[in-house]
Amino acid sequence: MEGGQTITLAALSITLLVGLSRAMILFIVTSGLSFVLGVLRVPNVAHGSLYMIGAFAAYSISALFGSGSVGFWLALIFAPLVVALISLIAERSLFCHLYEREHLMLLLFTFALMLILGDLTKIVWGADYRSIMPPSLLQGFVTIFDSPFPKYNLFLLIIGPLVAIGLWLFSTKTKMGKIARAAAVDMEMVGAIGINVSWVFAFAFVLGCLLAGLGGALVSPTISVTLGMDHDIIIEAFLIVTIGGLGNMWGALVGSLIFGITQSFGVLLWPQFAIVFPYLAVVIILTLKPTGLLKSVW
Amino acid sequence: MLRVEDLHKSFDDFKAVNGAHLTVESGQLVAVIGPNGAGKTTLFNLITGQLQPGRGRILLNDEDISKLPPHVICRKGIARSFQIANVFPRLSVFRNVQVSVLSQQKLSNKLFRPASQIAVEETGRILESVGLVDKKMDLAGSLSHGDKRILEIAIALGNEPELLILDEPTAGMSPDETATTMALIQRLAADQGLTILFCEHDMEVVFGTAQSIMVMQQGGTIVQGDPQTVRHNTEVQEAYLGDE
Amino acid sequence: MFGELIRQKSFGVSLAVFLVLLLAPSFLPRFYIYLLAVIFVTALLAMSLNLCVGHGMLFQFHHGVFYGVGAYTAGLLLAKTSIPWWMAFVAGPLAAAFAGLLIGLFCIRLNKLYFGMLQISLGSLIWAIAFRWYGLTGGDDGIHGIPIPDFIASTTGSYYFVLIVLGICLFLMYLILKSPFGSTLQAIRDNPERCAAVGIHVRHHQLKTIVIATFFGGVAGVLFVVVEGSIFPDLLFWVLSLEIFIMCLLGGWFTFAGPILGAAIIVSLRTFVGTYTEYWTLILGVILILLIFFLPEGIMGYNYRQLFRSRTKYAHDSQME
Repeated sequence: MEGGQTITLAALSITLLVGLSRAMILFIVTSGLSFVLGVLRVPNVAHGSLYMIGAFAAYSISALFGSGSVGFWLALIFAPLVVALISLIAERSLFCHLYEREHLMLLLFTFALMLILGDLTKIVWGADYRSIMPPSLLQGFVTIFDSPFPKYNLFLLIIGPLVAIGLWLFSTKTKMGKIARAAAVDMEMVGAIGINVSWVFAFAFVLGCLLAGLGGALVSPTISVTLGMDHDIIIEAFLIVTIGGLGNMWGALVGSLIFGITQSFGVLLWPQFAIVFPYLAVVIILTLKPTGLLKSVW
Repeated sequence: MLRVEDLHKSFDDFKAVNGAHLTVESGQLVAVIGPNGAGKTTLFNLITGQLQPGRGRILLNDEDISKLPPHVICRKGIARSFQIANVFPRLSVFRNVQVSVLSQQKLSNKLFRPASQIAVEETGRILESVGLVDKKMDLAGSLSHGDKRILEIAIALGNEPELLILDEPTAGMSPDETATTMALIQRLAADQGLTILFCEHDMEVVFGTAQSIMVMQQGGTIVQGDPQTVRHNTEVQEAYLGDE
Repeated sequence: MFGELIRQKSFGVSLAVFLVLLLAPSFLPRFYIYLLAVIFVTALLAMSLNLCVGHGMLFQFHHGVFYGVGAYTAGLLLAKTSIPWWMAFVAGPLAAAFAGLLIGLFCIRLNKLYFGMLQISLGSLIWAIAFRWYGLTGGDDGIHGIPIPDFIASTTGSYYFVLIVLGICLFLMYLILKSPFGSTLQAIRDNPERCAAVGIHVRHHQLKTIVIATFFGGVAGVLFVVVEGSIFPDLLFWVLSLEIFIMCLLGGWFTFAGPILGAAIIVSLRTFVGTYTEYWTLILGVILILLIFFLPEGIMGYNYRQLFRSRTKYAHDSQME
C-alpha cells in the first residue's frame, strides 16, 4: 500500500498473468476436491496433505534422476501416481468401511488422515525447505508488456485449461465419468442399476487425490516445498468450492480465477496482508450469493 | 380463511403442482385426495413454506403468505404434521410438545429459567387431549409408529393453530389406530373449533369425515366440493375413483 | 430456581469434586496443580464447543479461533495498554463473541459439514492475521511475560482463579441447557425442519448458540493467559480446534460433562506422551481413527440402537431436569 511505486499498466498485466497462473494450480487442486465433494458429499480435509505429498514426491523423484529436465518430467507423471496410490491404500483399507456411516464420520476420517499424513511427511522428508528447478526448457523469462514473465508460469497457463478440458471430456464422454456424475446427483439410482457404489466412491476419491498430487507436483518449482503448505492450500480450496458452488467443476474454475487474481493483486498492493484480499472477495460473494456463484450439485 | 389460487411448482422439468386451487372455510374439515404423485404433499409444503411456489397465490385471511418462510407462516396460525413421523427423537414426549408451546408463547429464547417449570400446564393439557399423558417421559424416538403420529399432532397443537394441516395422518396405521386417530381429529375439530386440512388415501375415511373434498390429479385441481358433489362428479369418477 | 438443581444426585458429586479440587494445592506438587489448571482451561473450551456440537449439531470445526481471539484480546490489552485488568478480562470474551457472530453470520447459511468447512477457512484468516501482524501480535513468536494481576499470578493463585471461573461457567452452561433456549436448541439438533414448522427461527437460534459458545470460548482464552502469561498463534491454529473437537467426541458429546473427561484425557496424554515424541498430531490422528472405528457409541454418545436398549434410563435422565 505504501511502497510509493506507481502502478503501471504493464505491472497490472503481469500481475493478472501471475494471478491466472496461480489460479491454474488452485483449479487443478480444487477440481479434485470438488469432484470428491460432488460424489462422496464429503469435504476431504486431507486433500491439502496429499497436495503437499505430491510436491515432496516430485522433489524426491526429480532428485533421484539428478534434478535435471528428465527428472522433472518423470516427477510430473509419477508424483501424482504416488499420491493416488497412497489415497487408494487409505481408501480401501479404512475409508471404504465408513460409507454406510454418518457423513460426519467420513469427514472426521479425512481429518485423521490429514493429521497422520502431515506427521508422516515430517518423518519422511523432515522439516527442511526443498526446491525444484523447472526443466531447462521452462527456465528463464519471456518478455510480455516489456516485463519479464517466468516461462514456467506460461506453462501453467497452458496446462490448466488442458486439465479442465480433460476433466470435461472425462465426465461427459466416458462411461466412468457419466457414472460418477450420476452418482453425484443420485447415489441410490446408481446402486439400483447394479453398479458397485463402493468402487465408484473409490474411483472418485482416488481421482480427486490424484489431482491434488498433480497440483502439488506442478506447484513445486514455483515455491519452496515445506511442511505447512497443506494447511494453506486446503483453506483456499475450501473457500473456492464454497464461492464456486459445492461440487461444481466449473464453479471450481471460476472460484480459482477469482481467488488467484485477487491474491495476486493483493501481493501487488499490500504484500504483508495479501491474504486479506481473496477473503474480501469471498465475503462479498457470499453476502450476495450465499450458496455460491454456480449451482451446486446439492 | 385459506385460499390457494392457481398454484404452480416444478422441480427441474417435473411439474409437481400445476394449477392447484383450494378453499378452506373457517371451522371446516377439508380433505385433499388424489393418486400417489398427484402433488398433495408438495401442495402442503407450499402452503406451510417448506417450499416456495413458482407461480400463484396462497392467501391466509386475505394476506399473501406464499413467499414467507416456515416459521413465520407458523406464527400466522398454521401448524402441520408431516407424512413421515417427524418428531424430536432424542427428547422426551413432554419436551417434544413443550418446544412448540414455548415457541407459541415466545419463550424459546429464555436463557436462565429451568424449562421444567415453564408451560408445564399447557403442555400437560395437550398431552391429555391426545392421550399421551402416560408416555410423557418416554423418549419420542422409542414410541410406536402410531404414537409418533399422534405426538406429531400434539406438537402441532402446541402452536394453538387456527388451521391445522395433517399430511396423511393415518399413513402406516392399523385399522384400529386409524379409527382412533380419525376420531381424535374429529373431536379436536369439534371441541377446539379447529379448522383442519388433511390428505388421506383411505376413501372411506375421507368421505366419512370431511365436509369438503378437493381432488387433485397430476398437480392440478379437478374439483372441490362437499362429498356428494365430488362423488357424483364424472371427471373424478373417471380419473380417480374409477380405477380404485 | 436452584431448588431442583440442588436436589440432584449429580449435584452432590460435583460439589464433592469441587471441594477436593479446592484442597488440591495443599497436597499435590506444583507441576500437577499447573497441569490441572491447564485441564480446567481446556475443559471449559471443550464444554463451550460442545454447546454447538453436542447440543446443537452445529459442526463448529474451528472453535479454537475464538479461544485465540479471547486470549489475544485480553493478552494484548494487558501487555500494551494500562487499562485495569478486569476490563481486559471482560473484553476477551466479548471480542470472541463478536468474532463468533461475524463468522457465524456467513457460515450459518450453509448446512452441516459445509458450515464447518467454511468456518475453517474464515477462521484461518484470523490465524493468518495474528501470525503476520508482527507489530501488534509478535507474529510467530507471540507475546510472552504478559503482566498478570498479583493475586492470581502464582501457580496456586491462577489455579484457584481458573477453578472458580470454570465452576461459574459450568453452572451457567448447565442453566442454559436446561432452559427453554437449551430445550429448543436440542430440538433443532434432532429435527431442524420440524422446528421451523413450529415457529422457531432455526438459523437465529443457532447463531445465538454460536455467540454464547464463542463467548465461553473467549473466557477460556482469558484463563489461558492467566495460567500461561503468554499468547501465540498456535492458539488459533486448526489443529487445536480439531483437538478440542476430539475431546468432545471422546468424552461423549450428548452428555453434559463428557467434554471435561475428554479434555482431561487428551491434555494428560499430550503432556506425558509429548515428552517422548514430537509426533503428537500423528498420535492424535490415530486416536481419532480408533474412535471412529471402535468407539462409535463413545463417539456418537448416542445412537438409536443404544437408545432403545437403555430407554428407561434416558427417560429417567430427562425427567430429572
